[in-house]
Amino acid sequence: MTVVADLVREKQIIVCCGAGGVGKTTTSAALAVAGARSGRRVLVLTVDPSRRLAQTLGVKRNSDEPIRLSAVREREVGIEAPGGLSAWMLDPKLVSDRAVRKLASSPEEADRLLRNPVYGQVTQMIAGMQEYTAMEALHGFVERGDYDLVVLDTPPSRNALNFLEAPGRLAEFLDGRIFQLFLPRREGVLLGTTRKLVGLVLGGVFGRQFYSDLTTFFGSFSGLFSILNGNARRMSERLRSDDVAFLLVTSPVREAMVDAFWFDDRIRQLGLPLGGFVLNRSVAGNAERRQPDASLLPADPSPHHHAALEKLLRLSEKERRRVDQDRDLLDALRDRAGDRVPVLAIPEIGDGVDDLPGLAGLAGHLLNGA
Amino acid sequence: MCVTGSTGPVLAKLCGTVKHLPDEAVASCRVCQTVLPGVGPFTRVLGVLSFQASGIPRVVAWLTGGVAEVDLTSRRVVLMTGKGGVGRTTLSAALAKAAAREGRRVLVAEVGEPSELEQSSLAELFGLPRFETTPSHLAERIDGVMLDSERGTELFLASVLKLKALARLAVRTKPLLRLLHAAPSFHEMGIFYHLLSLLEARDGDGAHRHDLVIFDMPATGHSLALTRLPKILLRLVPVGPMADALRAGQAILNDPAKGVACVVTLPEALPVTEALELLEGLRDSDLAVGAVVANCVPGNPFSDEERAALADLLGDGPLLGSTELERIDRADASLERLRENVKAPLLALDERPEQGPDLVEALSRQLAEVAP
Repeated sequence: MTVVADLVREKQIIVCCGAGGVGKTTTSAALAVAGARSGRRVLVLTVDPSRRLAQTLGVKRNSDEPIRLSAVREREVGIEAPGGLSAWMLDPKLVSDRAVRKLASSPEEADRLLRNPVYGQVTQMIAGMQEYTAMEALHGFVERGDYDLVVLDTPPSRNALNFLEAPGRLAEFLDGRIFQLFLPRREGVLLGTTRKLVGLVLGGVFGRQFYSDLTTFFGSFSGLFSILNGNARRMSERLRSDDVAFLLVTSPVREAMVDAFWFDDRIRQLGLPLGGFVLNRSVAGNAERRQPDASLLPADPSPHHHAALEKLLRLSEKERRRVDQDRDLLDALRDRAGDRVPVLAIPEIGDGVDDLPGLAGLAGHLLNGA
Repeated sequence: MCVTGSTGPVLAKLCGTVKHLPDEAVASCRVCQTVLPGVGPFTRVLGVLSFQASGIPRVVAWLTGGVAEVDLTSRRVVLMTGKGGVGRTTLSAALAKAAAREGRRVLVAEVGEPSELEQSSLAELFGLPRFETTPSHLAERIDGVMLDSERGTELFLASVLKLKALARLAVRTKPLLRLLHAAPSFHEMGIFYHLLSLLEARDGDGAHRHDLVIFDMPATGHSLALTRLPKILLRLVPVGPMADALRAGQAILNDPAKGVACVVTLPEALPVTEALELLEGLRDSDLAVGAVVANCVPGNPFSDEERAALADLLGDGPLLGSTELERIDRADASLERLRENVKAPLLALDERPEQGPDLVEALSRQLAEVAP
């Protein structure tokens, strides 16, 4: 049993962070499988799954509700009732549309808001919305209480930290003083002057029509934003509680490790609970493997056999160097983790990691160790 | 050496000097004799020969000297894209060095996200902790810059607002700037404008200050947000100074002769899947793809006969070296998938033992090597 096994059995929220390309999305899915295997109802919120993984999980873009894995598939990855696995792909537009419908004072009001031209475009500007909607979706699903565990895959790479800071950044955006500049009928000498300047600048930069759309947008959405902002703030607080764990996913590449260490610092600064490090694709465990030698040759070897052996030897030397390198990286990670949190090394699984057997295998590694 | 794919010579990797046939102005691969049209005398070809659907071979060589379809360094701007960890930054630096050796004045650029200020790997490769928001000298004919949203916004406001006093006042008005930077796409707009202003910067004699800007873009999600920005914003703001700036950017980025994306990936299943998805995403942004680069391709040392013989040696249980063997197989399969699905020129770069600045140097030599 690994410490990750304890996390997926006990926590209510697990957030996976890490640089892009370290297998974070796949790890999130495998953690969800592991949680469901221990009898829990699990939801995995993925941000940007590969098409293969999306197919494996049976999720589609624009689906209203999380999709439960079919019973056959669940059995295939070792999930038995009461455990269950559902997945949902974060769609920023869907999340914000839903929030608007839920929070608007009437269906007519919601329709009016959703038709605003600025609103229509804002949700397309995915870079900014993704982090915020991740938070909003997480809030929605945790509040509903349909799941024992929600695993959140954070937006890829550099964005991932914006996700942690989304409430702060959004709060700044929604800061009352900024808003007031756009809201009609608020006076005061200073405010009036600043607003005139803002009007001049924005009108000049964007053109009058857009400035007027923008003003209407802020006017209509200010109430909604403050509710959404409240949700995000509460969620940000919620992420500091005991039943939450952040997992730092990395791979044995120097850049990914640098990122992981950096995340570790940020998580500490933000006072978030770190659950551990997961080192993917590590060949550190191959050290014990048998070195190829002449005894592998068949009784009557051909020249091709000799050539093949010689080249295989060269490959094994190359692998030895990688093993040494990976062990150093694993040691560095362990030094860093100290006795604060565990480090779990997952061997390279190769192709098909996004297929059902691959996910089941990865879940097994996460639960039982390599 | 010429490595042929499992289904015949569909994927030929040429790592040697191409034989020159003086009178016919064509060359052929020294090993498999495939004729390479359009390759000039003494061109050293390091690249992948891909065959189009018509069966006509298309030479894909990494430029300098010879006539080749992959020609990144003669553009005005190359956007380096790809998931994290695929070597995008290293390749950006190597391409810069290669282009500088050709005599091009190069500017390498990366984004300085507020959350990322502590690390700047492109700058590190040039031995600096990080770049400034104005170009600084890195090496002969190479400058480096950090693209910064606030800087871009300031430049933009200054260019738009005719009254200098108003511009200065606007730039100093904290609530206004905070508003601009907190709103989702204005952040990208600032970076976009900063890039545009650097592309348009000219010397006293009227020539562009930098012939080529190589932009090491942030990882996929943000890259797409940036490349789609003009299209999305123009729908929202069809007229006015911002629209003019966006169109000026489009005039460079949407002209394949001036601006291209270069998609970097690794020869593994998942990265290739992600690269194919990125290529699909890029299609929406009207940005031409100049090259798809498979980085760190492990060499396959085995001939077909040796590979067959190898099966007799690998009996029970994995050996030290089995993982490397699996990697080679996955790389072959990945290149095959790229070849089948990518219309843009494809380039495979060998895995190399070097790291950091040494790797940049080695790759740039490989990219720019021309036989005497």
